[in-house]
Amino acid sequence: MMTRGRRFSAMAAVLLAVAAGAALAAGTDAPSPLIYPAETIPLAFDHAQHARLGATCESCHQTAQTSTSATDNLIPREAACRACHKIDRTQPTKSVPQGQGAARCAACHVGWTGIVEPSAQLAAAPPAEPPRVVLARPNLKFNHKLHAMRGIACALCHVNADTQQAPVTRADLPMMASCLGCHDGKQATARCSACHLTEPDGRLKTKLVSAATMAAGATGPLAPSGSLRGGIDAHTATFKREHKQAGREEKYCLTCHKRNECIDCHGGVVRPPEIHPSDYASLHAIDARRNTPDCSACHRTQSFCVGCHQRSGVAPDPEGGLPGRRPNNPFGTGTGLKTFHPPGWARDATGAPIETPRSNSHSLAARRNIRTCVSCHREESCLSCHSADPTGPRVSPHGPGFGATARCRFLAARNQRACLKCHAVGAMELTCD
Amino acid sequence: MRGGGRLALLALVGSAAVPRPAAAYDFTVGLRTIGQGYQVRRFGADGNNELLSRRRLTQYMDLAVFDLAPTRWRGDDGDRNLLYFDASLRFDSDFGGYTLGRPTGSDEIQELKQSQLDILYAFLGGKNVGGRVDFELGRQIHFDLVDFFAFDGGDAIVHVTRNFAVQAYAGTEVRGELPLSAPIYEIDGTSAGSRDPVTRPGQASALRPLVGAAVLGGRDGGPLTGRLAYRRVWSATVDRLPGEPASGINDEKLSATASANWRNRAYVAGGARLNLLVGEFDDQQLLVKLRSFARQWLTLEYSYLAPTFDGDSIWNVFASGAYRDLRGVYEVGIGTEVKAYARGFARFFTASGHAGGASVGATWRRGRGLVRADGYFDDGYGGRKLGVDASARLAVKRTFELEGRLTGYQWRADLATDGAGTTNDGGVVFGAQAGGRWLLGQGVRLHLLAEDNVGTYYRSQFRGLAVVEVDASL
Repeated sequence: MMTRGRRFSAMAAVLLAVAAGAALAAGTDAPSPLIYPAETIPLAFDHAQHARLGATCESCHQTAQTSTSATDNLIPREAACRACHKIDRTQPTKSVPQGQGAARCAACHVGWTGIVEPSAQLAAAPPAEPPRVVLARPNLKFNHKLHAMRGIACALCHVNADTQQAPVTRADLPMMASCLGCHDGKQATARCSACHLTEPDGRLKTKLVSAATMAAGATGPLAPSGSLRGGIDAHTATFKREHKQAGREEKYCLTCHKRNECIDCHGGVVRPPEIHPSDYASLHAIDARRNTPDCSACHRTQSFCVGCHQRSGVAPDPEGGLPGRRPNNPFGTGTGLKTFHPPGWARDATGAPIETPRSNSHSLAARRNIRTCVSCHREESCLSCHSADPTGPRVSPHGPGFGATARCRFLAARNQRACLKCHAVGAMELTCD
Repeated sequence: MRGGGRLALLALVGSAAVPRPAAAYDFTVGLRTIGQGYQVRRFGADGNNELLSRRRLTQYMDLAVFDLAPTRWRGDDGDRNLLYFDASLRFDSDFGGYTLGRPTGSDEIQELKQSQLDILYAFLGGKNVGGRVDFELGRQIHFDLVDFFAFDGGDAIVHVTRNFAVQAYAGTEVRGELPLSAPIYEIDGTSAGSRDPVTRPGQASALRPLVGAAVLGGRDGGPLTGRLAYRRVWSATVDRLPGEPASGINDEKLSATASANWRNRAYVAGGARLNLLVGEFDDQQLLVKLRSFARQWLTLEYSYLAPTFDGDSIWNVFASGAYRDLRGVYEVGIGTEVKAYARGFARFFTASGHAGGASVGATWRRGRGLVRADGYFDDGYGGRKLGVDASARLAVKRTFELEGRLTGYQWRADLATDGAGTTNDGGVVFGAQAGGRWLLGQGVRLHLLAEDNVGTYYRSQFRGLAVVEVDASL
């Protein structure tokens, strides 16, 4: 049999192995398929070689400097290549002397010989063409011209383009982190909508799914990846439950979300299944007792909880707590059918209030989490015993030495109305001495 | 009508009749109708478990008008929506069977109000006005790390420099007892349904002025941010008797929150709230989030929370304890399709006792589908629960999506007892959900969901949900 120490070591080893496995499997930062959808670039091209030969970006991408839209196709057309490559479409396999730019079709259109099959000719079909370049529209705004006018070099954004031995694909396109190098609110605007597409109300457009984005691996709406802001905004699997810290930046959330999306959960009328599972009513008492998740994040106990408990009869006063009216529900004292609290919870067998706390009396539960009490009871439940009214049991709810505490002084100075629910006007206790 | 009034009316009609250039505002209108039928477990008059059948109808009406400002007001970078109006109204009616029938007349229970119409928020807003000012005027909701409140009034933030702003706001707290107001964000601790005159129930409908101010440091998303805020809410004494104070403070808080981000690798955030009503720090939070590899995060969090209430509530003077939490979450993105997590928590009650638990889960998105599975276990004060939850969504076509969920859990709650004092609340529940979401047309969606649960206490507990949404941009 394993000793406790060995068991712990074995568990630690398993956890470490799982973590290491996950680390290896974890994805790397890559451009969002929602921003740069799938594309097809069936070309061979060596950027590095062209750069070595003295070609500049502009010598091939001639329209880049005047482009004002991210949807413009800036891939050079054949005419741009012809400046150096003596292409002759009638000679698809044309040879050129060594040192000159290749003129064979297959030099760029990989695998395409340019030779049309006889059967295609017989069928009078149009001449076969090499596979086409298909670029999907990026879901982004970008003005190359504006950047060029401000003297921003191509390489500042397209960092490794001139060293690539292959065509630049969507995987090499600039990511947001590089944009934010300048778009910091000082050198250039930091408004998200400067680059991202927007809805009519100015929020970012997040529903960008299309056939092209799905082909690139997009699986949901646009959401923060967590590569910025220290990852606090990463919409991970636990984000719906654990977004308190991210939510502190209200303005940032409203960049994408409508304000009523907050209310859908924080004060909504439909149970969010990610927070509360099916038939949560059966389970909720456990969470309520320990107040985790924090009930008050969405519910006001004296409105929501008390109201529902009254509707369903799980309250001390389903008829409204009318003075002098006996509770008429199974939890009522003396019904003998069912008691919500164990015997000795608030009163002893004779019906007298319990003044000395016991292990099964309510004071311990109230000290642990008084909000649980507040979810069924109103103030009058407590006041029936905890009051300085000389006609009642006069059980003090305060801890020992309460009069000397800062809490007593602060409360007495700021709102004596609460004190006067138990104490008489001008009573000595109100001075907190 | 007096002469002045007639003149004003004429001027108004005249000004409306004067031709002017047409303004092209952007509108969005959202209508959402939610119908629910559900059953709630209750205890019958003989002490046995029964199901209470209830229905709920909710209607949301959202209206937003954008770009109210002239185009020439836009800045160099083309800021949209310099001025805008945003509103959300809700009619909510929860009806069906009550345990004992619904008391009416003078016996009517405040908490059992069946229908209400609320203005959740409605304000005129401004963003970056003059390059420096953001404002909201009307009913608004605000939140930060340690606060969540709603008020009718005005709020303005002046960006003094790129890294420093000041904020001031004033108005009256939104309270459930006031017309067209929901109690969602009202300070807890007093009940409008109280009947005992000692609890001063009339105080619930008193207006509560609210003022607040804050200073903000650091720029949005910058490496260091901070916010120091103060808020006070008070009310005049209703039905004041000799010797009683003329007014009382209902809420007074000073809070500080800050965050630091180191190269998007480490994020530290925290906050503390000094509740000046009780003279104690009643909310303290500290979080550290570390990003190791590209898509892995480890979050460690500590928090301390002491329950405090409305200044009119007696529960502020009760000898109640606080709780401290330690939480840890490890999250990882595996490829582009899988997100997984493991989390654990421990809660320590300062009075005595503790609770703790753990959960694991993962989501897998691929193509048109999404699968999610979660498992959890926790134990300690309050009870024990062990459960699993699996859900899936599949977009059958662009206009139709299927969804389903299976749930199962076992629980034991430290709750109801029989006559001998033995805990008897616990059991198992298995639940299944199935539904679909249809896109019926441009901006028109229908969501139908049916749920049935089988458990220790019943063979069938049904819940049905139907949502019709209409979104229009004009």
